Amino acid sequence: MKKFWALFFWFWPLVALYVCLIAPGRNWWFPSKPLSTLGHQIDGLFYLILIIVTVTFVGTEFALGYALWKSAVSEPGKKAWFSHGSHRLEIVWTIVPAFVLVFISFYQLDVLADIRVLSRFPESVKEAPVAEVMARQFEWRIRYPKPGTELMTSPQPGDLYFVNEVHVPATVPTMINLRTQDVQHAFFVPRLRVKQDAVPGLIIQVWFEIEEAGDYELLCAELCGWGHYKMKARIVAESPEGVSAYLTRLEREQNEDGVQEAETASVK
Amino acid sequence: MTDLKRLGLAIMLHTAWLKRAGIAGILAIVATGCSDNSSSFSISDRTSSLIPEAQSGVADTPGVVDLLEEKFGNPQQLKAWTKLPVQWGGAAASVEVFAADAEGAKVRFTVADGQEFPAKATFVNVVTGSGAGKTLGLSSWDAATGEAVLTGLDGVVLASGDTCSIDGGAVIRSGRVLYMRHCSHCHGTAGDGNGPTAQYLYPRPRDYRHGVFKFTSTNDMSKVSREDLLRVLRYGIPGTYMPSFLLMKDEELTAIVEYVRLLSMRGEFERKLVNELVSDYSADAVESRLKDEQRADIVAELGEFLSEDLPGVVDGIGGELEESWVAADTEEARIIPSVPRVPDSEESRRRGRELYLSKTLNCADCHGIDGAGNGPQTMVYEKNPVTNVPYNEPGLHDVWDNLNQPRNLHTGIFRGGRRPIDLFCRIHAGIKGSRMPSFKNTPHEDIWHIVNYVLSIPFEPEPGATGLAAGPIAAPLVGATPAAGE
Repeated sequence: MKKFWALFFWFWPLVALYVCLIAPGRNWWFPSKPLSTLGHQIDGLFYLILIIVTVTFVGTEFALGYALWKSAVSEPGKKAWFSHGSHRLEIVWTIVPAFVLVFISFYQLDVLADIRVLSRFPESVKEAPVAEVMARQFEWRIRYPKPGTELMTSPQPGDLYFVNEVHVPATVPTMINLRTQDVQHAFFVPRLRVKQDAVPGLIIQVWFEIEEAGDYELLCAELCGWGHYKMKARIVAESPEGVSAYLTRLEREQNEDGVQEAETASVK
Repeated sequence: MTDLKRLGLAIMLHTAWLKRAGIAGILAIVATGCSDNSSSFSISDRTSSLIPEAQSGVADTPGVVDLLEEKFGNPQQLKAWTKLPVQWGGAAASVEVFAADAEGAKVRFTVADGQEFPAKATFVNVVTGSGAGKTLGLSSWDAATGEAVLTGLDGVVLASGDTCSIDGGAVIRSGRVLYMRHCSHCHGTAGDGNGPTAQYLYPRPRDYRHGVFKFTSTNDMSKVSREDLLRVLRYGIPGTYMPSFLLMKDEELTAIVEYVRLLSMRGEFERKLVNELVSDYSADAVESRLKDEQRADIVAELGEFLSEDLPGVVDGIGGELEESWVAADTEEARIIPSVPRVPDSEESRRRGRELYLSKTLNCADCHGIDGAGNGPQTMVYEKNPVTNVPYNEPGLHDVWDNLNQPRNLHTGIFRGGRRPIDLFCRIHAGIKGSRMPSFKNTPHEDIWHIVNYVLSIPFEPEPGATGLAAGPIAAPLVGATPAAGE
């Protein structure tokens, strides 16, 4: 029975090792492959941490199994080695993880800076947010600048408004201004690996470069109230021409005076 | 035994008892389910103000509550009052019978023009023929050919040429499920605007039972159109808690619209029915009548009214509902400006401002001189028009008895939509149920001037900056159609 427990604790690290080895290839941890340029870097960090924890987990579990095995096969009556209070051991298991953590924190600085630090944003987006995404309980309200003008922080005459759907260009760097009207929300696009809190009083620039045109799910990832689950929107990534055609359409719709539409309807 | 020991024993006994009670509780839940999951349509306060006989009938004659159940059912078992203009769903079809015995009938359905067989169907309702009103089971349903075997005949004799409704009520049933999931926590099971989350919201969620919806593209006396309801579902109402349901599928949204319309009609039916009874048979009225009359006589009189007059009243209300809700979706009900939008210009805005302040339109009386929503009417103590009791707080009140704040036009939030046509409709038809009146007699060109002015208010450098006489430009021009020559 004693040997069983040793084997039991050796068995699980093998399972974990197998799972961690095949997981990246099968994309088990993510809803899809990363579809933004930053997404690749973020996944890279994730897999680095996955390697570190796998090695740690397998190592400690094997050590545990080894200790169990050794005591299982030892002579009856043999005294155990009393390790409690060993300074050397304590120093080792403090310094090694500390070193690992410091390594991770330095290693990820580059990626973090690429995501968050405005001066590292691609030149083309720095001054040109395509839209303001205003989170509110419980929806996303979008404001685009009037085509041909720049987005200002306060609403301008001719700005275009929509709700729960953002059209952005694909395959080029894009930036949005993230705000909230009430409480904290978080702008989370799982397939782009973009997640950014919206904080009351702040305008937060979020940039990404979507690699494939298509629809992306935008969720709120900060429990914001009873209707949190309702805060679902769609990001439509399309060609820059597609976006400007969309904005032209939106502008026409927003200026409808009910006469033109009635005429076209009666012609049909 | 020391006190400490006694305490320990007490705790042990207690935990053992707790454990047993917990296990028994879990077994009870497993056996019976957590609670009674059935829900009901609540009745209105006015209905419950009636004497019990008026609510639940005298002898065999149905009362208000029975009639509601008869015509609309309950959330578990909805009933289709087919007179009402609701798209219940399902396909109307005539039947051709090949073979029939006591067990079942082999049949083929032919669908009415312009309809399609539902892909999945498990039952049919017989509409005409000797089995009218019966529900039959449908097995081996072939949606391509319409061939099927009917089961559960139970004495019903079907003849070729009888008409049936296949999978009847499919739309309204799916609307009910979606409504219960997405809407009922604010708007309430019966659409009374009193769901569990409603008390935390300002403004309060809409109570559909008046049949009144604020933001419509229809004339001031018309109901809301299906398109208007869809628009609100898709885009939400900014400035309120009504969120956008843009990502739901079209068929889901239309199913919800139909269900909301059904709830509205149910509420209106209840209101109108109670209107017939409330003056004579409310608990208060009966109490005051008891001074000169016997209760038994009053009840007998009520019984007579319920059995002889009420069926006609019910038909009349059904007719009114049908007519008004059908009319809302017609072209005649829709507001179409007679002139296109007047191009936005400094002059048009000044004219709009002039009209805004004019004695005839008097917008400033509620919205304030500068459009901040603080006109003198917000200081007035009003009386409730139904009960004649003054409200506790000053200001205007809507038909739902909620404080009705005139909009502050500086916020740039337009609840009913920010398109020029939306604002045109708000002015032309007013905001139904609220104290914003209809200005349908105002020339359309003038309405456009006001629209131009209102759209420019959020961008005024300071409140009231738009002058009446020519002067420096107050705010940048709005819209895609600047006036010629600017």
